[in-house]
Amino acid sequence: MKRKLQALVVFILLGICKLPLEQRTATSLRSHEMLYAPLDYSARDAVGQMGFAATLGGLRSLVASITYLMGYTAFEETNWSRVDMLFGITTMLQPRFDVYWDDAAGHMAYDAASNYLYDESRPTLYRKQLYRENVQRGIDILNEGLRHLPKSDRLHTSLGHLYARRVEPRNHELAGEHYLLAYQNGGLPVMERLAAYEWAQLNNAPERWKQAYTILKRSYGMGLRAPGTMNFMHSLENKLNIPPALRMR
Amino acid sequence: MSSSYKSFSPSRIWALTMSTVTQLLRMRILVFLLVISVVVVGASFAFPTFNAAQQLKMLKDVCFGLEQLFAYVIAMVATALLLPKDVEDRTLYTILAKPVPRLDYLLGKLFGVLIVIGGGLVLLDIMLSGVLWIKQGYVLEDTLAGLHMQLGGTPPPEAIAAATADVEKQGLTWALHVGVLAIFLKASVLVSLTLLISCIATSTLFSVITSFCFFIMGHGETLFREYFFKGGTAWWQYLAAAVLAIFCPDLSLFDVVDAVTEGRAVLLTDALHMTGIGLLYTGGYMVVAYLLFVEKEL
Amino acid sequence: MSDTAVVIENLTKVFNRGVGHKLFTAVKDVSFSVKAGEVYGLIGPNGSGKSTTMKVLLGLLAPTHGKTSIFGMDSQLVESRRAVGFLPENPYFYKHLTGMETVLFFGKLCGMSGKKLHDQAKELLKLTGMEGAADRRLGGYSKGMLQRIGLAQALVHEPQLLVLDEPTAGVDPAGSRRIRDLILDCKARGITVLVTSHLLEQLQEVCDRIGIMSQGQMVSEGPIEDLISVENQTEFVLENATPELLQQIRDLVASKPGSGTLLSMGHPHTTLERMFLKVTEEDERLEATRTKT
Repeated sequence: MKRKLQALVVFILLGICKLPLEQRTATSLRSHEMLYAPLDYSARDAVGQMGFAATLGGLRSLVASITYLMGYTAFEETNWSRVDMLFGITTMLQPRFDVYWDDAAGHMAYDAASNYLYDESRPTLYRKQLYRENVQRGIDILNEGLRHLPKSDRLHTSLGHLYARRVEPRNHELAGEHYLLAYQNGGLPVMERLAAYEWAQLNNAPERWKQAYTILKRSYGMGLRAPGTMNFMHSLENKLNIPPALRMR
Repeated sequence: MSSSYKSFSPSRIWALTMSTVTQLLRMRILVFLLVISVVVVGASFAFPTFNAAQQLKMLKDVCFGLEQLFAYVIAMVATALLLPKDVEDRTLYTILAKPVPRLDYLLGKLFGVLIVIGGGLVLLDIMLSGVLWIKQGYVLEDTLAGLHMQLGGTPPPEAIAAATADVEKQGLTWALHVGVLAIFLKASVLVSLTLLISCIATSTLFSVITSFCFFIMGHGETLFREYFFKGGTAWWQYLAAAVLAIFCPDLSLFDVVDAVTEGRAVLLTDALHMTGIGLLYTGGYMVVAYLLFVEKEL
Repeated sequence: MSDTAVVIENLTKVFNRGVGHKLFTAVKDVSFSVKAGEVYGLIGPNGSGKSTTMKVLLGLLAPTHGKTSIFGMDSQLVESRRAVGFLPENPYFYKHLTGMETVLFFGKLCGMSGKKLHDQAKELLKLTGMEGAADRRLGGYSKGMLQRIGLAQALVHEPQLLVLDEPTAGVDPAGSRRIRDLILDCKARGITVLVTSHLLEQLQEVCDRIGIMSQGQMVSEGPIEDLISVENQTEFVLENATPELLQQIRDLVASKPGSGTLLSMGHPHTTLERMFLKVTEEDERLEATRTKT
């Protein structure tokens, strides 16, 4: 009996002593993005009882992979609301993996939007409205992803692409902004030039034009003479009234 | 008498350890490992329609999921079986009727299970590393070929570098081995906790169910602990949170697998913190298990 | 080392069977001692407390009251088990091990190793007649073989005290005889033996002293001759006596009234066990001769 009491005392003491250590370790691991905060109980409805139990068992990434695969099947069946729901769960489970956000947005802004746009069974106006809504859904997903991963060049690039290629009318200002952020966060050098191309297409934006011209001049100085670059450069020289002597050839 | 008595004898613990290893291997654990290995190899051929990063991520997720399943199931179920089976078969009588301290017996059981789990994880890690390494080479080749086709010529060096970095981030990294270490540490905590429960349990089923409850609560312990530290709620809620936080280990501290499969690098200090916490739990629970077992009437 | 191998002093063991159940007294104020070198038999019906007494002696249970010691050392101390070899009733070992591996395993638990352990294991397997089955897994052993392996493991570390709990339970007569011979062999080597058995005739053959337990108490104890001899009767056995001689004896007893009464006279019976052993041994001998020719 004496030993049983000793066991209980040691167990409780261990439990008390471990609390601050656990707290410190958890904080440290979270600050280094090694751990996720515990899943909200409301997530149980989204992932189902089994999925929720599995995430509680530490199998979060496996559950995310499974919902991702289910989302992919839904994409093949063009069941867009299900795609949106399943990718929503996937990104909720692993919000720090940018590929999930990118894929989720891509399915909505490209696949779903185009599918609705070319669906001739629906009236034209309604098709266009669905197209816009789904592109906007893609933008929302990427913005939500950027809230978790503000330095993801992948997400900035994708958002830049959506503003530059999918929204109507095109939003050159925001597209350029995100392309530049993508470049500044480790993206390819072409992202900086894409930002310049977008801003070159703006109306009445002398400050952006100057910024774009500076970028393109630097590229030119580095020996880049691609026709696209040259066209935008000449257009900017005209807009900025650059004296002929200072213009690039 | 041929031998002198030592109250602590590594060779005696080793004899008990190896007997536990053999006992566990007789429970068809190798078949379990073989099935997982087949799935690992199979998973490397799956998901061909996904992009490079996604294919590698999926492969890692599936393999790490299976590794965790292997480690945690063995840690709870096999450990829960060991002690009651020895009592039921009376092998425990014969063993403890020899000059074997009960602590040595418990340590033999602990190390035996850990060797089986650790050995299994090392095998699976080697297999995953090999498969991932080969797959990484293939998907990188495919990605570069895709770029080549897309651009109608040789891609610029910067594009090649970016694609390579992307694939390498999701490919074989040192952090993945730290992920395996984290699984092993969590399994060690579960083994010691299950041994502790076995010392007071009256049946194997009770041990398995109780361990499983601790396993689930252990992953939610963060919530109880943070609730306790935040304070300011009704006293009974505060007390309940405190009790749960004190009685359960925080198993979510070892869940760095999510981060490493996302391609994040693990800092050495984080790995050391995790190892320290794992050793603290395992050591602490073994002390409690010993105190309960030393008085257990057989 | 103490002259007394085992001392059980006022041993009481009470089991608490949980909430709502009465306390159960398995052993009540039992005392006895076993001298070094003797064979002591503990007998009694099922539930009489024999096994509980042995478990307390081996440190598997803690006494509620009283003391138990082995060669002067408190038997609750692990170290006291250095001097003890134990064979439990119906022993179960790890079935995945072979006979040799089992003996080696238990030897290692006793701190033995290397060539010495291997030699000792081989010798014990030979002694118990298990040499031929040493490389077979225990899963395929008969009850008698398990018992003999049990005996080998109990002796592996050359103990001074051998505790045998129902060593012949479920074993055929030949196996029982072999175990009996082993007990006598141990006695000859100076090993103290504490044994329980239901086969009272066998105990009678090997034990120096006997303790009889009933309902948790020691009801009778002492040297076996004292316990079983019938003080007022005399028995003598004649070989090849003629009917005339037998008649003369009858007449002599009848002619001295008050000097004694002849109760019976007839042919003594062999035991069924002796007859079984004789028949099976003869059969084996014939089989061996046939194989040779």
